[in-house]
Amino acid sequence: MLFRIDPSGTEPLAAQLARQIRSAAARGELTPGMRLPSARDVADSLGVNLHTVLRAYQDVRDEGLIDLRRGRGAVMTSAARDVRRLREAVDHVVAVAHDLGVSPTTTLSLMKEALQ
Amino acid sequence: MTAPAPATTRHDKVPYRGWTTLLALGVPAAIIATTTGLAMSWRHDLPDPIAVHWGLNGPDGFGSLTTSIVWPAVAGSVVASLLWALGFFAGRQSFTRRGAAALAVWFTILLSGVSIGGLSVQRGVADARDAGSIDGVILVTFLVATAAAGIVTRLIPGDPPLPTSEPVSPTAARLKLGRGEDASWVRDVTSPGYFLAIGGVVLTVALVGLLGGQWWFALVLGVTIGLSLVAFLHWTVIVDRDGLTVRSILRRPCFRIPLNEVEMAEVVEVRPLREFGGWGIRSGMTGGRMGVVVRKGPALQVHRTGGRVFLVTVDDAATGAALLNTLAGRTRG
Repeated sequence: MLFRIDPSGTEPLAAQLARQIRSAAARGELTPGMRLPSARDVADSLGVNLHTVLRAYQDVRDEGLIDLRRGRGAVMTSAARDVRRLREAVDHVVAVAHDLGVSPTTTLSLMKEALQ
Repeated sequence: MTAPAPATTRHDKVPYRGWTTLLALGVPAAIIATTTGLAMSWRHDLPDPIAVHWGLNGPDGFGSLTTSIVWPAVAGSVVASLLWALGFFAGRQSFTRRGAAALAVWFTILLSGVSIGGLSVQRGVADARDAGSIDGVILVTFLVATAAAGIVTRLIPGDPPLPTSEPVSPTAARLKLGRGEDASWVRDVTSPGYFLAIGGVVLTVALVGLLGGQWWFALVLGVTIGLSLVAFLHWTVIVDRDGLTVRSILRRPCFRIPLNEVEMAEVVEVRPLREFGGWGIRSGMTGGRMGVVVRKGPALQVHRTGGRVFLVTVDDAATGAALLNTLAGRTRG
């Protein structure tokens, strides 16, 4: 698993890490049953506080994307597959919008409307 | 500001050959000489023929004293010489030097120890058939040999630092990173044969224990082999500002290649049996190349200064290699 952080960015570090776990699942790089590296390894390696990484892991756990179990670490749940499928559907919408020449703003407002 | 890099030919030489010779050749020679001398000095106290093999119910193989003195001395000398040659001529990486010297000492102690121990229980015995058991001898020798191998590993120095200021190969894959961005790649790798191997150890311990009735010996054997399996077949691979770290799940052994020694990282396909003769931490005879090989398939391979090549079999090696090239590139002016 590749983690990037930008300490000068406005987004909190934990949020940056959580976002990357989400998008790795969406890209199909993290599949159900796969284990995330230990929070300590990630923290040591990036030179950030352990609590920052744990915070990120807890956030994606609260979203149902991973299971956090003592001794077993962070394991991707079946939700990883759902995120991937949703991402594929979104990609499809984007492709259709592109073909029809519909602007991103219009597409986004249609999506927002549909979600309500 | 940067001084011109010294000629690489100097770097390509195998370091610490004196240590390798002392520990892989000198120590085994001393052990063999001592035990041979001791055995010779006992020749009047020993039965003729002497017991050379023990079954479950005591001695069941007999032979001459000369054979039992000569053969461990010859076998020990041959094995130690081969291992010394490996460390002396191909020991560009500390693991090769350490492994060669430790194995040479371990093997000669085991061979000479069991041999001299087998003789010690026969001193003053008129008929070799009445010789006592050598279970204790084997257990103690095994523990002493293992402890000595551990000490030898510590005594052999690690690799001297060989930083380079040469740029990373421009054709090598890179990973795009923003200016202020920092990145790390962490990946676990477990041998697919892991559980099979653990099962094999449990089965062996049970068999040795049940059939031989020597639970003590079986347990020591099982724990030793079991721990080495866990240590050698389950690894964490990290690429970050410290370079490449490949660490066993037990935290030792641990290999680290600093960024300033990375010439280029790439992805290669590994065939463990054909290229390394097996799985685990493997050293190639052709010099320089060594690897943590736990499965067949893609591996992250690093060309390191001093003509050294290190590889580790790991999934998604392309990302790791690209990040390593990028981070290494950042350290060069």
